[in-house]
Amino acid sequence: MDGTANNYHGERDGVLVVSTANPGKLIIDTDPGIDDTMAILMAFQSPELEILGLTTIFGNVSTEDATRNALLLCEIAGRPDVPVAEGSPEPLKGGIPRVADFIHGSDGLGNTFLSPPKATKIDKSASEFLVDKVSEYPGEVSILALGPLTNLALAIKRDSSFASKVKRIVVLGGAFFALGNVNPAAEANIYGDPEAADLVFTSGANITVVGINITTQVKFTDGDLLELRQSKGKYAQILSDMCKFYRDWHVQSDGVYGIFLHDPVSFVALVRPDLFTYKKGVVRVETQGICVGHTLMDQGLKRWNTSNPWSGYSSVAIAWSVDVDEVLNYVRQLLMKQ
Amino acid sequence: MAAEPKKIIIDTDPGIDDAMAIFLALRSPEVEVIGLTTIYGNVYTTLATRNALHLLEVAGRTDIPVAEGSHVTITKGTKLRIADFVHVTVVALGPLTNIALAIELDPEFCKNVRQIVLLGGAFSVNGNVNPASEANIFGDPEAADIVFTCGADILAVGINVTHQVVLTDADRNKLMQSNGKFAQYLCKILEVYFSYHQEAYSMRGVYLHDPTALLAAVNPSLLTYTEGAVRVQTTGITRGLTLLYNKQKRFGEVTEWTDKPTVKVAVTVDAPTVVKLLMERLMES
Repeated sequence: MDGTANNYHGERDGVLVVSTANPGKLIIDTDPGIDDTMAILMAFQSPELEILGLTTIFGNVSTEDATRNALLLCEIAGRPDVPVAEGSPEPLKGGIPRVADFIHGSDGLGNTFLSPPKATKIDKSASEFLVDKVSEYPGEVSILALGPLTNLALAIKRDSSFASKVKRIVVLGGAFFALGNVNPAAEANIYGDPEAADLVFTSGANITVVGINITTQVKFTDGDLLELRQSKGKYAQILSDMCKFYRDWHVQSDGVYGIFLHDPVSFVALVRPDLFTYKKGVVRVETQGICVGHTLMDQGLKRWNTSNPWSGYSSVAIAWSVDVDEVLNYVRQLLMKQ
Repeated sequence: MAAEPKKIIIDTDPGIDDAMAIFLALRSPEVEVIGLTTIYGNVYTTLATRNALHLLEVAGRTDIPVAEGSHVTITKGTKLRIADFVHVTVVALGPLTNIALAIELDPEFCKNVRQIVLLGGAFSVNGNVNPASEANIFGDPEAADIVFTCGADILAVGINVTHQVVLTDADRNKLMQSNGKFAQYLCKILEVYFSYHQEAYSMRGVYLHDPTALLAAVNPSLLTYTEGAVRVQTTGITRGLTLLYNKQKRFGEVTEWTDKPTVKVAVTVDAPTVVKLLMERLMES
């Protein structure tokens, strides 16, 4: 285990700078999802990572479809041995989750309709699997959370030592001092389970949050997508096929001729934290009213007269800026790797 | 051709920086103050009324009427007689209860009022009551949401902008040395405000929230603006949060911001000129 990993070693103007990290053991909690697929395949292209398993959650697709897609992706990567543990079918408060099939296609993989996987999910639930692995290797397991945070919240509820034993959680979610993508107030992953997100952010675990205020700065243009298609990358073809549907939605929704790299950027924040700067602060999630799912960080600029809902909680690191060119290079290099 | 002064009503909860704004208004030839209405906020409404009357006495302007506003937030609902606001600019420096009551009482109000310039909200920054909420909006979030969505010509000046406008210690010394009657009076009450800023923000200086909003009414070109729908969160831990949707991005579903009228929200301010104008006008005897 790399004892120096993730140490915040400097602060300039209140912005934290981190050293490079060797994440080692990794669990990816995911709702694949086209950009999830990119991130997962990037992880499989990184030999320094030991992928302990994938856990699944609703979001881009239903949890059941997420499990199928996760199994498929392990097979595509030639790693059918990687365990896939199915997560919660619904958010903490219950009810039918909102599924973004208009963004990722009805199969979640850009309507590519791949044949079903041969492997099957393991018997353990996602939260059981998370708790077991983190207990087995305390201080060694990193989690990349790419969907709503229900499974992580359930793991924290299941085991009170989970938050202190997990090495680091990198969360793709939230919109900090920026517009959401579900509505002006909320980002999709947090909106998917606001109660779970609030529980995770205030759990005291070592957390880095990458919001869409960061991820929407990093795009693959139509030119980048063409370059990927024409490359000899191991997964270039399958990713190119999936990205068509996703790209067309971006044109319609944001006028972007290309795609945002939400999940790949979060993966880079896990393995190359030095390509970002961070601010530390307490983050709470609104669970009521018209701003349900809104992530609000106390920047610590004022000493409050009285205690408020942010008082007394542990800080998390919020990605504050990103080295766009270097992150893009890193993504390109992994996706075009043979 | 000298334009006719803009008629303004100041809705206020004085308040040290409210006092500065009121004096500034009385010294600004561009505007004619036709009345003050009072609201709780910095102080209770009764005291706000007393302070407003007192400030007008200090200024020798007891000819300006003071109308006492609501003592409670809009959800507690008391009806209020509001003056004729036709073609008048309302400068709202406190919680928006009086304005919301005016809207509820008179459906024509939003059409008849020339503009509502309001000091309130924290757009894409932390609040000053808590991380989510700015004090004036937090004072009556329901009223603020009514005002922001009423369809009137609204200009919101939030603390994201007013925090850029600081009166320094040196400025205060200059005020003290001047013979201006307003400057002398203000210096006496400014000490408390300086101590508060030292304690809360570790700064030697004070934010000029209310004077900035007042000058936005006097000379709109001192600020730049964006436009969009603003909604106010009225429940939960972020009660009082102001959220602006600039209508640039399209969402897959209808949202609480869709089809709501747009308002102007200040984004930048010519801070040096605001401070200079304030100093000049308060130092004139």
